[in-house]
Order: sequence, then structure tokens, then C-alpha cells
Amino acid sequence: MGENAQTRWWTEAGVGYVVIDNPPMNVLSDENRRGIREALDEFCRDDVGAVVLTGAGDRAFCAGADLGEEKHLTDETVGKFLARGEQTFRIIRDYARPVIGAINGWAMGGGLVLALWCDVRVGSTRARLGAVGVKVGLMASNVQLSRLLPEGRARDMLLTGRTVEPEEAYRLGLLSSVVAPERLMDEATAWARAMAARPRELVAAAKQAINAALEPEAAR
Amino acid sequence: MRLESGGIVVVAVEGVCAGPDFERALEADLRIAADTATFSADGVADLPACGRRLARLLGEARAKEIVLGARTFDATTAVRLGVVTRVVPAAALAQAARALADTLAALPPLALPAVRQAVRAARELTPDAALALEHEHFRRLIATRDHKAAVEAFFERRTAVFTGE
Repeated sequence: MGENAQTRWWTEAGVGYVVIDNPPMNVLSDENRRGIREALDEFCRDDVGAVVLTGAGDRAFCAGADLGEEKHLTDETVGKFLARGEQTFRIIRDYARPVIGAINGWAMGGGLVLALWCDVRVGSTRARLGAVGVKVGLMASNVQLSRLLPEGRARDMLLTGRTVEPEEAYRLGLLSSVVAPERLMDEATAWARAMAARPRELVAAAKQAINAALEPEAAR
Repeated sequence: MRLESGGIVVVAVEGVCAGPDFERALEADLRIAADTATFSADGVADLPACGRRLARLLGEARAKEIVLGARTFDATTAVRLGVVTRVVPAAALAQAARALADTLAALPPLALPAVRQAVRAARELTPDAALALEHEHFRRLIATRDHKAAVEAFFERRTAVFTGE
């Protein structure tokens, strides 16, 4: 159990929970990136079987980078900005236990990247996904969307930056289930407990194998 | 109907789309269709190339269904398979295609070809190399005047004007 100014985390019945709490839109910050890292370190020590990651409130899972912070980036600082984001995503991807994203509202830009690095996503009917980078002349989530979706669908989302609502996200496989907002944490917990109940080493090996499966032959 | 906006090709399919028409439609970046449209790989000039393209666009199972099954399928099936992203009534097709092209035209123009190139490359690179490529684009794009204009417009709650710089 722990918290910092923008992140809370705890363990309950073998499942670790992390809440990004940076209202109103839960934008990414050094604080919540650090919180996610510390939470996963703690869960690892406590040997939790699965993790649920969500955003506080019902407006946003995570709205990505803080545009106010991002507009001050210079040639020198942008590299560090990207590296900090990548470090968080890698921690989730390489974490030995499954991470379930409970998508309670907007997941856009870097927030969509965060959601897509989770192993499974469940959404509330308020979930909204958007690869919005293109709308501000940038790109983000190219790599993950190109892996999770066939190229035609990835192009559609990435080139238009349009909003994907829960029913479509479910159809595309970006959300594994969609429930009413008040049922979201129960739903995420059910997925997490089911995964936590299976042999740990087997689940870890399967996660790692799937991560590697789409790599080009030459890289395997 | 074929529209081009910011280097991105949109094809709107109406009626029969088979053989060379089907191949040309698959070359586009985005496809939409009228509810009266039908699709078939029958009669394409280069079936293996069509299979490769479909496998990337739709996934292997669906590509094989279309290329090896060689059946004609309707617009509803096309949207389910992902051959097109949207189906509209035939009378609304031209308008929907123009609206999509207008949406693309309103976006910062430098990001579009970068996204397109990165999507294409993503499958051929290791995840690390793909991420490095994405970051390379990001570094270049974040320094553009259009990105700054987009962020300013966002904070001032107005529509941004882009110059491609």
C-alpha cells in the first residue's frame, strides 16, 4: 500500500491496484510515472498474481501528456521526455504478471499508449479511446496499435485521430469486455483474480511469449 | 471514387468492386463503402500480392478467407472483416467520402505521412526499432510550427490553422 500526490496503490486478495489520480483528466506526470513504478516494485515483492491499473474519477483513464508541460520541451529535453514515457511502458510490458487496464473514461494520446501496453483492457461504457497525436501534429501509439490491430484498422485510428467508443473498441478487440461504470472495478478484479489463480510461471511465460511473437523472425 | 487529402488516399466504393478495382481499393489508406457495394478478389492481376496486402490489412485468417475462398461479399461483411472502415447508404457515400477527406485536410499535414510510414514500418521492425522510429518522428514533429499552433489553439479553444511547417 502506498501513495504519492498523484498515484495510489494497494493490494487486496492477491491483486495489486494502481490508480492514477491527477484530476480532472489524469494527465501523465513524473509523479504518477514514479507511482506506477513504485507500485509495481512493491507488488513484485508481495508476489501479487495480477495488477489492475485505472484512473481516478469517471472522466479519464489517462489523457496522456500534459500539453502545458509538453509545449516547453526543447530539442534537448524532448529525448528525456520520451525516455521517461518509454520506461513506464516497458515496466508494464516486462512485468512478469498480467496487467489489466480498467478503462474508466478517456484514454488518449500517451494515455492510450499506457492503456495499450496493459495486457488486457476492460472498459466502462464511459471509455473513449483516441490516438489523438495526429490532431496536434504528433504521433503516439503507432507501435502498439500496429501490433494489436490489423494494419487497416490501425491506419484508420492513427490517421484520423477519431474517437473510438466502447462498442467499437470491443468489436476491434481493444477492450475485452464493456460494463456499466459502477461495475468496472468488479469486472477488472474478476479478470485479475482469474489470472492470479493460474500457475504464476506459466502465465508469465505466456505473456512473454506473446510479447515476442510479433517480432520479426530475425529478432527472435 | 478516389480522393486524396494531405497525401492520404481515401477510396469510396460503390457497386461492384472486384479484380483490378479491388486491388486499387486495397492500395488506398482508408476505405469506406456504400451499403450496395460488393467485393471480390476474383480476377485480380496479382493474387499473391493481394494476399500479402490483405494479410497486413486484416490479419491472416481473414486474408485467406477472401483470397482462397474467392467469394463475393457484401458491404456489411466488408466492414466486419475490416476491408472498409465504414458503410453508409449509397446516397450518402459521396458526402461521407468528402467529409473524411475534409477531416484529414484539417489535420497538421506533416504528421500524416509520418504516421503512415511508421505504421507500414512497424511490422517489419523489432518493437525496439519501431519505437525508436516513432520517437525519431516525434522529435521532428514536436519542433514544427504546426504542432505549436495546434497546442495554442487547444488552449485558446479555437481551430488551428496549419502551414505544413
